[in-house]
This record gives sequence, structure tokens and C-alpha cells, in this order.
Amino acid sequence: MSISRILKVLGVILSLLALLAYVGYLAVYIVYAVDLFHWPFDYDQGEGFELYDAILYARGEWPYKDNAVYPYYTSNYPPLFHLLIIPFLPIFGPRVVAGRVVSFVATLVTCGAVSAIVRRRAGGWFIPLVSGLAYLASPYVYQTGPLCRMHSMMVMFETLAVAFVAEFQHPRHGTRNLVLGLLMLLCAGYTKQMAVFTVAAALSYVSLRDVKKAVISGAALAAVAGVIFWLLNAATDGQWWVNTIQANANEFEYLQTLASARQWFELHTLFILLSFAYLIYELFLDRLSAYSLWFFFALGTGALSGKWGAGFNYFTTAIAAACVCSGLALGRLVSSRRLGIGDWRSLFTARGPRSAIRSLQSTIRNLKSAIRSLAIRRSVSVVRPILMVLVPLLYLWQAPRMLHLPTAGPVFGPVAEALGVGGAVTETDCMAYPYYDKMGYTQLGHLLTEDDYAAGEEILAYARTSDGPVFSEEAMFSLLIGEPVVTNPTQLRNLYLNGLLDTTDAVERVNRQEFGLIIFRARFYPDPVLQAVGQNYTTVERVCMNGFNYDILLPRRLLDGAQEQ
Amino acid sequence: MVTKRQLGIIVVVLALLGVVGLIGVDLIGVGEWSGFGPLQQIGVGLGGMAIVVGVILILLGNRPA
Repeated sequence: MSISRILKVLGVILSLLALLAYVGYLAVYIVYAVDLFHWPFDYDQGEGFELYDAILYARGEWPYKDNAVYPYYTSNYPPLFHLLIIPFLPIFGPRVVAGRVVSFVATLVTCGAVSAIVRRRAGGWFIPLVSGLAYLASPYVYQTGPLCRMHSMMVMFETLAVAFVAEFQHPRHGTRNLVLGLLMLLCAGYTKQMAVFTVAAALSYVSLRDVKKAVISGAALAAVAGVIFWLLNAATDGQWWVNTIQANANEFEYLQTLASARQWFELHTLFILLSFAYLIYELFLDRLSAYSLWFFFALGTGALSGKWGAGFNYFTTAIAAACVCSGLALGRLVSSRRLGIGDWRSLFTARGPRSAIRSLQSTIRNLKSAIRSLAIRRSVSVVRPILMVLVPLLYLWQAPRMLHLPTAGPVFGPVAEALGVGGAVTETDCMAYPYYDKMGYTQLGHLLTEDDYAAGEEILAYARTSDGPVFSEEAMFSLLIGEPVVTNPTQLRNLYLNGLLDTTDAVERVNRQEFGLIIFRARFYPDPVLQAVGQNYTTVERVCMNGFNYDILLPRRLLDGAQEQ
Repeated sequence: MVTKRQLGIIVVVLALLGVVGLIGVDLIGVGEWSGFGPLQQIGVGLGGMAIVVGVILILLGNRPA
């Protein structure tokens, strides 16, 4: 058996193993998503607020309101994600599973789009398939994908936008692709504001190829987005501007950005290195594609992870871009038409940088034409099998760097043992969950337990028997008993820190002990409100649910009255 | 169509503006110089790298970017 044949057989075996690893991640992701679909409470703080925005839209109400007025609730995000939840409300009811299903489907669409892009450009099936599955294998995507949060939907629109814009010079469908790409960018921006970086990437790409079209496209996009912006602001008496722009100007900690970037690199090393290599290759030796430009600009989204309230999911766009670029890079590597290795020796005999670069360009042209000759084809016949082994090996090397899975149960228990993480637990504030994540400490990703469900019902019992509105840091406790949501705490905090919130009315209501129940988790409220609560409410119980301590506070009038009796 | 030379010029100009801006932030507040902070060091470093990239692109001439 020849070396070439041995390598090909080995390559097939390694490819199947790599595919098994990434399909395994898909299975873990689906199990986690289904587990979340059953959970009626907030799993991540903020989910209930996104659902409530959808409920308000379904009732014909704007969620952008004056936070100084009861119930002190407003949204700080654009509307598209919430509008897309509305069709699911009649199916699931006003339950957070509606938003989770929408977000989960968005991640699947993104996975499919990544695969389709790589397949279209690089051909084959293995690299496109793994590129798409790699997106879902990322711990960042895994943990946040099935949440009722808009970030995954934004990334979906961004991916589709770049896919369309990349083909804006198609001889038959160029104009259609450009229009669809701009539409996807508009959708991305009105899902979450951070999509601005992808807008910059897409318009930069068009500029490089056709400045006139870029100017027209940019102007058209700005005009449409601007009109929508103005209409929203006018319809909400200026609350749109205050709550979606001014309130989001939070304090920035660059060390948090650096720490997040380091973790992002450690978890996604292969994809990031290949993407940088692809970017550098296109920048100096070829033409910049929309995808490498997208990867570059997506780093800006990740840079914002140092903002208060931001998290690792700010790197999700960059992960999608890296999955595309790494797939394209490997696809180019294995394609025999593009083995432009180059003769670097001439760089050392050239006189000066201009001469060196001209030598390099000439060598590359000569090498490309030599590749077409029979002599080179013979070496390619060995190189290709080597690449067939190398590519799946690279994916297998990367796979454990993103390891995350439950570590208990009839299936995951033995699998975790086999992978060397059997019995591993994730410690939270008040509980340990049988879950392993390469990220280390995480608040997300673990499956829920019977104790969590019991704790949720215990807190809900307090809400049902409250003799006044429920002032809750998480919205689902109010929504599950059919009550309006009172406060969006992080939004109130952001507005207060930016000098944009009058807490007088809220403090007075707390002082009058109008709220029959207060539920705290992280106490992300303005200081005056917290002080008033401290003076008028007493913690009667602390309940551990989903790894967090929930403080149950009752008004002192109830407790004083009980003591008198 | 933008060439690599043109792209390089744009990159160098933007990088120089960024570096000047980062340094100028402290110079504008005369008498309030508190040293070159870590964020500024990172910014100037990135700006320097961008200038190098831009110069290489300029040397690559009229090839399409």
C-alpha cells in the first residue's frame, strides 16, 4: 500500500473522528436547549424583560417609557427581536420559551449560513460542515444561544448580511444581493446596536470594489435607518433615544476587555489563528474578501466586552466570522489550484523592500504556473493526502479546547469519564452543578435540577400571596402570576449613573411600602432605591435557585403587624 | 476599485490620526500630565503596527485591494 493511500485512509478515519466530536457538541447543545425550554423562570437575568417587551408590542404598547414613572420599566434594546417573538406567543403563551426557541433557531440558521458560505467558496463537505458545527461548539454560543436574548439573532442577521454583500458583484444577482445584504444589516442593527461593526465591514468591502456603490449603499442604509430611528423617537416622546443610546453609555474597564480577549483566544485558538492568517494572506497577497474584513471589524465588537454589563457573548460575532474565515483558509489550503507557497529566498537577495516585494510577486506567479505542470502535480499527489490528515487533526486539536458538557447522567456521566472530566462540578453561589466547562467558572451552561424547580415554585408562592405589586429583579416571577413587570433594574442603574433618572417617585413608593414583595438577586438598582428598601423592607428568606441566592423581602408593616398579633 | 497603495495611505493616515489623538489627549490638558497610561500604550502600539501594515500596502502598488 502506497504512502499516499495510507494517508488517505488515515485522513478518512480522522475526519470521521473530528466530525464525531463536533456533532457531539451539537448534541450537548440540543440537550441544553431543550432543558431550558422547560424552565419557566429567568435562567439569565434579563430574559424575562425581553419577553415582556414582546408582550407589550403584542398589546400595541411601546416598551420605551419614562423610567421615573411607575412601573419604572423600559427596554434598552431595539425592537426587532421582540417583534419576531410575537408570532410564537399564541403557541407558547406569554412564556419565556417563546423567545428561547426564536434565539435557538437563529443559532441554527447561523450555523447553516456559515456552512453554506464555506461550501460555496471552498467546496467539499467536510470543512463546510465542521465550520458550521464549530460555531455551535463554541462555549460562548452554547451558553447563550438558547436564551431569550437578542444577541444570537443579531449574529444571524450579520452572517446573512455579509454572505449577501460578499456577492454584490455577481453578474446576474449582484443588485439583489446588495439590497438583501443592506436589509440584513438594517435588521441586525435594529436587533442590537452593536451590529454597527458589521455594517462598517460590509460597506468597507463594497468601497474597496466599487466606491460609487458603497457611497450610494451607505447613504441609502443611513437614510432608512435614520428615518426609522426618528420615527421611533417621535413615537416614544424621546424615550427611544434616552433608553437605547444614552443609557447604554456605561463605564468601560479595559482590563476586562483584555481578560475576555485572552479567554476568547484560548478557547478558539485554531479558528482565530487561521482567520488572522487568512486576513494577512488576503491583505498582502490577494484581494480582501468581505469575510476577512468582517473578522477584522468584529474584533471591535469584542473590544466592547469591557463595558459594564457586557459579557463574553460580545465575541460571538467574531466567532461566527472566525468559523467562516478558518473554513475558507483551510479550503484554500487543500485546493490544488491555489498552492501558492512562494519562494521566499528571493526576498534576501533583493535590493530594498520594493524589489523584494516585486520578486515575491514574480515568484508566486511562476510557482502558480509551475503547479500546472506535471512535475508539481506529482508532489501535489502527496501533499493532498498530507492535508487530508492535517485538516482533521487540526480540528481534533481544537475540539477539546472548547470542552463543555454535563458530567452526570446515564449518557453524559460515562462520556465525561472517558474525556477525563468525570465527576467535575461547577460551583455557584449556593450550589454545585454536575457540569464541566473549559471556561472555568460560568453562570450558564449547566442543566437545571429538581431543587431548582422547587425553589422557583417557593419564590412564586411568595409572589402569588403578595398584597401589593411585586418589585422583582427578574421579570418572570411577575409574568407567571399575570402581573405587570415593575422595574428593569440594570436599565435604572445605567440611567441613574448617567444622571438621567429621577428616583423620587420610586423611593417614595418604597418608603410607603406599597410593594407587597421585593425579590433581589444581584441588587443592580440605583443607590437611593436600595437605601429606601433597606429602611422599609426586611429579608425573610434566602432561596437558592439556579445557583443564585434570591433574597425575599417583605414590607416591615407586615412583619410589625404580625409581631403585634 | 481601491488599490493596495490607496488602502495603505488610508490606513497610515487613520493610524497617525489615532496616535496623535491618543498623545494629544494628555497634551491638551497642559499641566495635567499623568504619564502614558496602559490604554494609551496599547493604542499607540496598535497604531504603530497599523502604520507598518499601511507602508507595506503602499509598497504593493496598484494591485487591487
